[in-house]
Amino acid sequence: MPSLNKLLLLLAVASLAPLAIASDDPADERHERMEQVGDAVGPIGGMLKGEVEFDAATVMANLMTIQEVTSGIDELFPEGSYVEGEKRATQAVWTHRADFDQKLADFNVALDTAIDAAPQNVAELQPVFKNLIDTCKACHEDYRSAGD
Amino acid sequence: MLRKFGLGLLVLGLIFLWLTRPQTFDAKALSYSDPDPINGELMFHAGSCAACHAADLRGGLELHTDFGIFRVPNISPDDATGIGDWTDADFINAMLGGVSPDRKHYYPSFPYTSYARMKIQDVADLKAYIDTLPPVSHAVAGHELQFPWNVRRGIGLWKLRYLNPNPQIELPADADPLLLRGRYLAEGPGHCTECHTERDAFGGTIPQRWLAGAPNPDGEGRVPNITPDSTGLGDWSSKDIAYYLETGMDPDFDTVGGSMVKVQENLARLPAQDRQAIVAYLKAIPAKE
Repeated sequence: MPSLNKLLLLLAVASLAPLAIASDDPADERHERMEQVGDAVGPIGGMLKGEVEFDAATVMANLMTIQEVTSGIDELFPEGSYVEGEKRATQAVWTHRADFDQKLADFNVALDTAIDAAPQNVAELQPVFKNLIDTCKACHEDYRSAGD
Repeated sequence: MLRKFGLGLLVLGLIFLWLTRPQTFDAKALSYSDPDPINGELMFHAGSCAACHAADLRGGLELHTDFGIFRVPNISPDDATGIGDWTDADFINAMLGGVSPDRKHYYPSFPYTSYARMKIQDVADLKAYIDTLPPVSHAVAGHELQFPWNVRRGIGLWKLRYLNPNPQIELPADADPLLLRGRYLAEGPGHCTECHTERDAFGGTIPQRWLAGAPNPDGEGRVPNITPDSTGLGDWSSKDIAYYLETGMDPDFDTVGGSMVKVQENLARLPAQDRQAIVAYLKAIPAKE
C-alpha cells in the first residue's frame, strides 16, 4: 500500500502533466501549434511540388498529425490574448470572432475530407490538399498579420 | 504695395493652376486595334482589380490611411453607379493619367502610378473585358481626407513629382523577352511596388527602396522584401517563387496571407509563362536589405 505522501506526489505529478506539455501562454502555444502544422504540411507539399516522392502512408500520418495538433485550437485564442507584434494573430480574430470560428470550422471539414479520401497518388492528393490549403489561406488572409 | 502683392498672388495662383492642370490624351490621337476581351481578362487578373474593387467590382472597401479614408469605387459596367457610361478614352485617361471623365485628378490610392506604364492596347482590352461583366448597382461614398490632402487640384503637383510612365528598372531593349515581359507585368498592371516599396512623407514610393518591403498600408505587420537580398527572396529558387505565385505555398510550405492571398489567386490564373516572366524580373532587380 503506497504511503499518503507517495499518493499525493503522484496526484501532483498527474495534475502537472498537461501543463508540462502546454505552455501557459496561449499566444506562445498557438504559435507553436502552427509551427507543428507547418512541419506536417511540408512533406505533403513537397510531394506535390515534385521535391519528395509520393508516399500514401506519410500523407496519412501527417494529416493525422495536423488533426491532432489543431484539435481544440480555437480555445487557444481566448479573449484578451492578443499580442501586438511578433505572434501574428491580428486583432480581427477577436473583433470578427464568429467569422474566425467559421473559418476554423471550414478547415476542419476540409481536413476530414482529405483524411477520408486517403489519397493513393499525387493526382488524388492534389485536389483534397488544395482544398485544405485554401482554408488555411482564407484564415491567414484576415487573421494573420503581414510578415517578412 | 498691396496691388503688387495681389498681383504676385494672382501670378502664383495661375502658375499653380497651370502646373496642376489635369492632362488627358486627345481621344482622336489614341490609336489601338479592336479591343480583345480575352487579353483584357489576362490584364484583369494580372492587375488583381477584383482584390480591391470586390469580386463583382461593386467597390466599397475602405482604406484607412494617414491621409484619411479612401473608398474604393464601383468599376462594374453599371451606368449610374459604375463605369458603364465611360468611353474608351475616359478609361485610358483614368488608368494612364489618373484623370477622371470630368477632368479631375484621382488620388494615387488608385495605383495609376503603375498603370501609367501599361500599353494603351492592354488598357483598351481590359475595358472590353470589364464591359462583358454584369453591372452592379451600388453607390459608393467619396473619400474623407484631411486638409491639405482634400484639395484634389494639388494632386497635379504630386503627379509632377511621382507620375512617370518609364520603367523603374532599366533593361536593354534586346534583353530576354521573358524578363521584359516580367518587368511589364510587375511594374505595370501587377503594381507590385504599391505595397512592396516604402513611401516618403508625401506618399510617393522611394525608388532606392524598390520592392524592398514596407509597413503594411492596411493592417498589422510588414509587407515583405521581395528583392534577391538574403532578407528578401534570396534563398528562394526560381521554382520556389513560381510555385508560390501558383499555389500560395512558400518554400517552408507556409501559406500566403493578408492582402496577398487574392493577388496570388489572381496571378494563379495567368498562363504559367507569365508567372515565369515575373519570376525572371524578381531575380533581376537589385538586392536591397
